[in-house]
Amino acid sequence: MKNNLLLKWRWRECWQGQLWPITLALSLIIACVFALSALVTRVDKIMVDQGRSALGADLVLVSNQQPISPDTLASAKKLGLTISQQTRIRTMAFSDNGMQLISLKAMETNYPLRGELQLDANPLTANAKTLTMLQHVQPNELWLAERLFNLLDVSIGDTVAIGDAELTVSGKIAEDPELSFNPFNQMPSAIIHLDDIAKTGAVVPGGRLSYRAYFSGPDSALNQLQQEISITASQRWLSEQSQGRSAEFINKAQQYLSLTLLLVLLMASATLVLTSQHYRNSQQSTVAMLKSLGASQAWLRRWLAGQLAMLFGLSIAIGISCGFLLEQLLRLPLTDLLPDPLPSIGFSPWLVSIGIALLVGLPSMGISLLHLLATPATSIIGQDTPTKKQYWAYSLLLLPLISLIVWFGNNKMMWLTLVGLAVILVLLGALGLLITKLLQQKRWGPAVTLALSRLNRSRVASMAQLGALTCSLMLLSVIWLLRSDLLNDWQQTLPANAPNVFAINIAPEQVDAYINQLDQWQLDHSQAYPVIRGRLTQRNDEVLQSVSPAVATKPETEADKEKDSALRRELNFTWLPQLPSHNEVLEGEWSTERGVSVEQDIAERLNIKLGDTLHFSVNSQSFSAKVNSIRKVEWRNMKPNFYFIFSPDVMADLPTTWLVSFRIDDQQTGLLNQLARDYATVSLLDLRSMATRIQSLLQQVAWSLTVLAALAVLSGLLLVLTLLRLSVSQRQQEIKLYRTLGASKKRISATLWAEYGLMALIAGFTAALGAQGIIAAVVKWGFELPVQPHFYLFITLPVLALALIYVITLSMFKQLLAPLRA
Amino acid sequence: MSDPVIKADHLVKQVSTANDTLTILQDVSLQVNAGESIALVGPSGAGKSTLMTLLAGLDVPSQGEIHLLGQPLSQLDEEARAALRCEHISFVFQSFLLIPTLTAIENVMLPFLIQGQDQDVARASQLLEQVGLAGRAHHLPSQLSGGEQQRVALARAFISQPKILFADEPTGNLDQQTASKIVELLFQLNREHGTTLVLVTHDQTLAERCDRTLKIAAGKVAS
Repeated sequence: MKNNLLLKWRWRECWQGQLWPITLALSLIIACVFALSALVTRVDKIMVDQGRSALGADLVLVSNQQPISPDTLASAKKLGLTISQQTRIRTMAFSDNGMQLISLKAMETNYPLRGELQLDANPLTANAKTLTMLQHVQPNELWLAERLFNLLDVSIGDTVAIGDAELTVSGKIAEDPELSFNPFNQMPSAIIHLDDIAKTGAVVPGGRLSYRAYFSGPDSALNQLQQEISITASQRWLSEQSQGRSAEFINKAQQYLSLTLLLVLLMASATLVLTSQHYRNSQQSTVAMLKSLGASQAWLRRWLAGQLAMLFGLSIAIGISCGFLLEQLLRLPLTDLLPDPLPSIGFSPWLVSIGIALLVGLPSMGISLLHLLATPATSIIGQDTPTKKQYWAYSLLLLPLISLIVWFGNNKMMWLTLVGLAVILVLLGALGLLITKLLQQKRWGPAVTLALSRLNRSRVASMAQLGALTCSLMLLSVIWLLRSDLLNDWQQTLPANAPNVFAINIAPEQVDAYINQLDQWQLDHSQAYPVIRGRLTQRNDEVLQSVSPAVATKPETEADKEKDSALRRELNFTWLPQLPSHNEVLEGEWSTERGVSVEQDIAERLNIKLGDTLHFSVNSQSFSAKVNSIRKVEWRNMKPNFYFIFSPDVMADLPTTWLVSFRIDDQQTGLLNQLARDYATVSLLDLRSMATRIQSLLQQVAWSLTVLAALAVLSGLLLVLTLLRLSVSQRQQEIKLYRTLGASKKRISATLWAEYGLMALIAGFTAALGAQGIIAAVVKWGFELPVQPHFYLFITLPVLALALIYVITLSMFKQLLAPLRA
Repeated sequence: MSDPVIKADHLVKQVSTANDTLTILQDVSLQVNAGESIALVGPSGAGKSTLMTLLAGLDVPSQGEIHLLGQPLSQLDEEARAALRCEHISFVFQSFLLIPTLTAIENVMLPFLIQGQDQDVARASQLLEQVGLAGRAHHLPSQLSGGEQQRVALARAFISQPKILFADEPTGNLDQQTASKIVELLFQLNREHGTTLVLVTHDQTLAERCDRTLKIAAGKVAS
């Protein structure tokens, strides 16, 4: 029975008493952390899945020249891993009508262990009613990349000679999991079964040869394998962490997720601290009364501990349920991306969200409650007896501090954010006070004068209030604007009309006709780019690599591997009278006199400066050009991009093929087929499905980010509202006194407006200033995006703050105006 | 003459501020007998309420000794003093001090909760009936008028059958008509329960209803 009453009491405190804002803040923390960590778990899973599908396995061991040792394979087998072996070689393929350097992959039937291999056995020309799609390679089959059918001029059933073997073409490779996103540098590939590689006789020492072992199995076994096996210099592991194209977007989205989570946590913790303090103030008389009725310290401790336990229990129940719903909401747009059935999120979101709520909640509430316990019994008679300071209570702050150190460790970015915020909080509070000081020196009406003097009187309290108000306004605008900046950047890099088909190997005499054809069909297309493959050999007097034409087929030496990847392979060069408009010149100026414009990253890596003379080699022909400009290239935009762009006089004489990219819609596949028929020697790289995939991924991630940002903004508003409500209710006694003394409604309203309006304006202005700084810093160093000013913040934030003040005072006005009870 | 339930000898209470030490009570001695009602009167700031907190064991004097129900308070620590209050002492406050989230009857039963006893609903209802609030047992304080709230506080004060009741300006927040009803009720319950009453008040007519009046002025007993 007695427990019943205690339970009822605690329950009602959570809902009707001063505790509901705390319950709300705590639930918010749990809901956000739960939803986000569940989402991150799933997004991680998608990334790993996508990465591994693109790899064809969970883990790959690549060995150049040397076959993978039987010991390695035995170890993998012992660990219970599934193994698929592959041999790759660059070799020539001959048909009756042509020959071509190809990348030959000889694989086992069980390849791929992850992802999808699709082999299309249908004749290319006939519109076969029954489609035969195969997933695995069998002995005596030969599958060719689509381009090879043109290059070798063969059809299904024809014979192609690879080395000593004569093989019959079985069909085309419709989808290879390992297809690179890079439309260039892609040597057309052919697939045969591993059993047939010996027949070709192409595996000879010194050939461009690599052996691969594909593994799949549990992560623990994969890790153990990597630990057990020491790889040689010519071997390397490939895992999903070797990033794909979409990884960058996801990475940025994840970075945004964790930053938002941190800010939401900070704002919710601030709400917790404030509401706990208010709870402490409001409960002091109750504790004193209970003490006067003879409640012992032990009883009070039990009472508060029970209250705390119920509060946490309730918040966990609400938080997890809301978090669960929120996760569904955030996941809604991601349905297509997520595997079906969904992998379980496991226990981590539960543990993490409850753990964080405890870490944040215990100190912010604990400190206030411990102070509350120390309330002297004499305060019931309104005697202002000083409370014994409970300094040790602050040791509770070690909880989140130590966890932060453990969690972030040496993540400089997060520490900088935290320390930066603390500094900004103090600076903004001080700036706000300075502004009020300055304002005070002018003559104002009575309401404003009174408000200014009150703000200046309790300096620490005003500074804390101003600082907190400013910071929350600032954080919520940071979250929202960061989202806009991020989405803007994505939209710009991959606009809805981004090109999705590349036509390469266009002969010079075909270019005009080809472009005309595209124009006739009104397809959006790029200009035509001449493409010449060659190498960078020398910078000024420094030789970067030998000019030997045989370099492409020579085995890689150790020294080769030390070199920058740009030096290890042939690059695509182009020459143009003008730089493309989508390339931004960072340094220098484009000129058409024996000049070359270099991409920013490669210039940095190879220490290339303006004015350097670079030497190049194309088909053993050497030439040089002077660096006239450094360009920034957006590689993600799917437009044709080049490391080196030359002025026409440097290389216009060299034999070249041309490239053009264009956009084609799904229903225009017929046009693509016609192009393929009319220009049989031109290779078409149809990236439509990939572009659509990236675009829809972006849209989906963007939607999730928007929901999240909205949530964060809501929690920020909750903080601001709590802050203002608490502050206004602290004024309640004073305002009631004015009313009792007969102050008119108008006068009271003017006083409130003057004080809070001033505070809102000052906080709004300083928050806009702070937000500009933070967004600029985070965008520049955190996300590496261009910085944009957001001047409208200087209007939006003060107006928003004023609107909030209006809502608060309006909702509390009636209560405030009631005269004091006699 | 019955034994004194409160006996204070040469009480001094000093409070240190940042600059100097204030003497709030100076050499106050008094004795209150069982069943007696005593009014502590005096102007604001005279030290009446401070004296009450000392006598009730809510605070400790700087000098002097208090015997409360025969026990020397200087020998008891805070917990022991709380245990003593829990068992034998009750309060009525100027600002009622009800728990806003508990109903009238639940507020009345609060002392049981602190004492760890079972809730005696029948007794609480009976007391509420005695103070004229039988029909409002399940209302929250916010739904009650000031006078009604003070009646709930009175019922709460008497439920644990205290030996001593301390009342600090019990009518201070009420209008005259309500105040006089509360005073009637207070003295009636006091009589019925045979409680010793220590009343702190400004109100001369209220003081006159007590057996004895003790005037406090500038920290000293002035009578």
